[in-house]
Amino acid sequence: MKTGLFFIALLPFAAIAQSKQDTTIKSKRPLQEVVVSAGSFEASDRAKGASLTPIDAVTVAGSNADISQALRSLPGAQQIGEQSGLFVRGGTGDETRQFIDGTLLKTPNYPAVPGVPQYARINPFLFKGILFSSGGYSALYGSAMSSALIMESTDLPEKTSASFSVFPANLGAGFQHLAQNNKSSYGVNLNYSNQSLYNSVVPQVPDYFAGPAYADGNFNFRIRTGKTGMLKLYSNWSYSDVGMRKPDIDSAALNAGYQVRGWNSYNNLSFRSYLNNNWKMDLGAVYSYNREATANSLTDAKGNTAVSSLPYKTGNRTIRTDFAQARVVFTRFFSKGQALRFGGEHFYTRDKGMSNDSALALTDHLSAAFAEGDIYLAPNLAAKAGVRMEYASVLRKLVVAPRLSIAYRLPDASQFNLAYGIFYQEPANDFLYRYRDLNFSSATHYVLNYTKKANNRFFRAELYYKKYHHLVKTTPTLSNNGNGYAQGLELFWRDKKSVKDLDYWITYTYLDTKRNYLDYPYALRPSFTAPHTTTVAVKKFFREISTNVNVSWALAAGRPYYHINTHGITDQGTTKAYNIANLHIAYLCSFFKNRKWKDFSGFAMGVNNLFGTKQVFGYQYSANGQLREPVTLPATRGYFIGVFMSFGIDRTDDFLNNNL
Amino acid sequence: MKKLFICVLLVVVGYYSGMAQSGALQQAVNKLDQAQTVKDYQVLEKTFAGISEQPAWLPPYYAALCNAKIGFLLQDDGEKIEPFADRGETLAKQALSLLDSTTQKKELAEVYTVLSMVYRTKVFINPMTYGRKYGVLSGQMLQKALALEPGNPRALYVSAWVKYYTPRMWGGDKEQAKKLATESLQKLGNPGTDVYPHWGRADDQQLLAKIK
Repeated sequence: MKTGLFFIALLPFAAIAQSKQDTTIKSKRPLQEVVVSAGSFEASDRAKGASLTPIDAVTVAGSNADISQALRSLPGAQQIGEQSGLFVRGGTGDETRQFIDGTLLKTPNYPAVPGVPQYARINPFLFKGILFSSGGYSALYGSAMSSALIMESTDLPEKTSASFSVFPANLGAGFQHLAQNNKSSYGVNLNYSNQSLYNSVVPQVPDYFAGPAYADGNFNFRIRTGKTGMLKLYSNWSYSDVGMRKPDIDSAALNAGYQVRGWNSYNNLSFRSYLNNNWKMDLGAVYSYNREATANSLTDAKGNTAVSSLPYKTGNRTIRTDFAQARVVFTRFFSKGQALRFGGEHFYTRDKGMSNDSALALTDHLSAAFAEGDIYLAPNLAAKAGVRMEYASVLRKLVVAPRLSIAYRLPDASQFNLAYGIFYQEPANDFLYRYRDLNFSSATHYVLNYTKKANNRFFRAELYYKKYHHLVKTTPTLSNNGNGYAQGLELFWRDKKSVKDLDYWITYTYLDTKRNYLDYPYALRPSFTAPHTTTVAVKKFFREISTNVNVSWALAAGRPYYHINTHGITDQGTTKAYNIANLHIAYLCSFFKNRKWKDFSGFAMGVNNLFGTKQVFGYQYSANGQLREPVTLPATRGYFIGVFMSFGIDRTDDFLNNNL
Repeated sequence: MKKLFICVLLVVVGYYSGMAQSGALQQAVNKLDQAQTVKDYQVLEKTFAGISEQPAWLPPYYAALCNAKIGFLLQDDGEKIEPFADRGETLAKQALSLLDSTTQKKELAEVYTVLSMVYRTKVFINPMTYGRKYGVLSGQMLQKALALEPGNPRALYVSAWVKYYTPRMWGGDKEQAKKLATESLQKLGNPGTDVYPHWGRADDQQLLAKIK
């Protein structure tokens, strides 16, 4: 568990609040009878009944304060235990993009480490709205073939406050200051995480020689301007160092080492304001800097550097990425909840680096213009139609992506939704370093969805078909000759009513997908997809003992694995089923009864993979393909225990509003 | 025997006074004293909303109370509460607008108590998202009611309810809830069946039975 501050957000489970009124600016958008919602889960701070709130979405046990891990408990996402990111409907992790206040969050997680998912950089409690689209999302967003995670940061906090958390591997402190006139605020948070002590108690495979250590500092400033304006600045600075070693699969006498260090700065500036009763303007700008230095090494038993005939076994690589984006969106409101949105954005990416002795460089300008209308057709029928144009300088290609969704409301207040859209994405930079004559990859989505929400219960079923075009192939040569499809059925059921103070949801995901991409000799079911997945999330608040118990369970059928070399597939099979349960318990209390210093505090503890089942995500092969070893969890179980505290506030979920 | 006599007397007096000035209102209030289900309150809410008798603030007050009661009965039903809560809020505000803030403090205390209950039912829609705003508003309305009339037994009952259902770490206190409900019950004494707000006995007793 990266941040203890995460737990402070458990506190608002109480029904009765005693704080000041909220300081958010009310949306002027009129209420609509039908809300177009195909393909997405929306978690909003205005949720009613069994609709998701941001807290519901991110407090799933085992999520490690990472929004993309938390959302794995929703249908459409795969249970990928060996890397970060969100794998949606037959798509890779790269096909999901995260957006904060309209702009792209390019590197949401700390630099990747093979076989071990890395923490998210940004606390998921900074958001008052989270829209997880697993298909058919709005024309306002692009550059993601499978899924968009659209997050809206909180506005002003409710009060001035300070907080601390102490978990043996993680320390956190922060404060937030709200101006007397309730018009502006600023805050600073610091987190430091070092797993080495923990790892000496709970042995890990591989063996870490550096860290894992993560440090981040962030500050925010927000100010209301005029009657409806809100200007927000969020800046996050982080550093990480992870170095690990394990026996080399090709040479019994040697150890293979991997070390990655990362430096990152993420800066988001956004402004929104109504221009008059009918016009709204949203501006966003982001600049991020990311530097990653990785080193592969081989050492003998004495720790001396060894050499290998396999060149990829040793070497260094450093990449520095500067990324900037500017965006403007205008909204014109019309009667009956109709609206027209249009705008444009520009993405600038510059990569510069070295891989051993060869230089890597890439500069890309991606420009986009978009327009989208919310159209009222009848009291029970609404549509959202849009189009998006993108031009990428590195590809020298222009693409046009139409998007359409329709919602039809039935008399019993349940709803049918249909969505269609084309979604383009540039090939990953690693391919563009080598070869520029590539094209956009694309996916065409068709989604049919049914939802019914009533009496604190929520049922949702979704059918979809997705066709991939121009996926990147690496064999025989680098090209866009790949393709694929994905289709499936997803079910979601949430019930907050049946048992008092108990909230649970159950999901089922069926996925049929094949793709011919990278080095696949022909269309195969990708190794990151399981045909069947079921997840259960249960939360129970025991009022009498102020204790919150949170359980999550995920079960997925085995995933395929392949060993592919120039001769084709030399080994393949299906892993054993994935089965993992996580348990988190938080006890909430006050240490200081003195009224002036009233605190909201608690103890939290948790176990991930409670039953200690052995998980196999796939296999790593030796160079000759004759040996293989399973890719599994670094330790059978994960544990955490700690204490968190929040001072000087009436209500502790201020932390939700503390950043961004 | 004496009780029966008083009852008969009250019914007779009530009947005549009802005939004299507030027939429909008195009848509806009598029915309200017996109401138990969502259906009962829904029917009564319509009845009250359609009455135009003096004192003018009472029909919207009672209609708002019906909506609040429905909200409490549906407290595990989330969004289903919303239309009732919205109507309750409008009606309670309408009742407020019909009262004089300098001379009718007791009446205002009654309406603020009901408004506090209406806001409480908004919290039930989704505590996590609605609690922040409406929990606070509910508390403020209750404080207003108690400031206007410190011993108002219905405001005391709502305070007791809040103390009982708030988790301890946010200031919930069952002992305090018991004290408040007992005090409310004492203050109520024998409230009669007049059109002026007199409800609360059954609510106090129900809450006290839970605390035991």
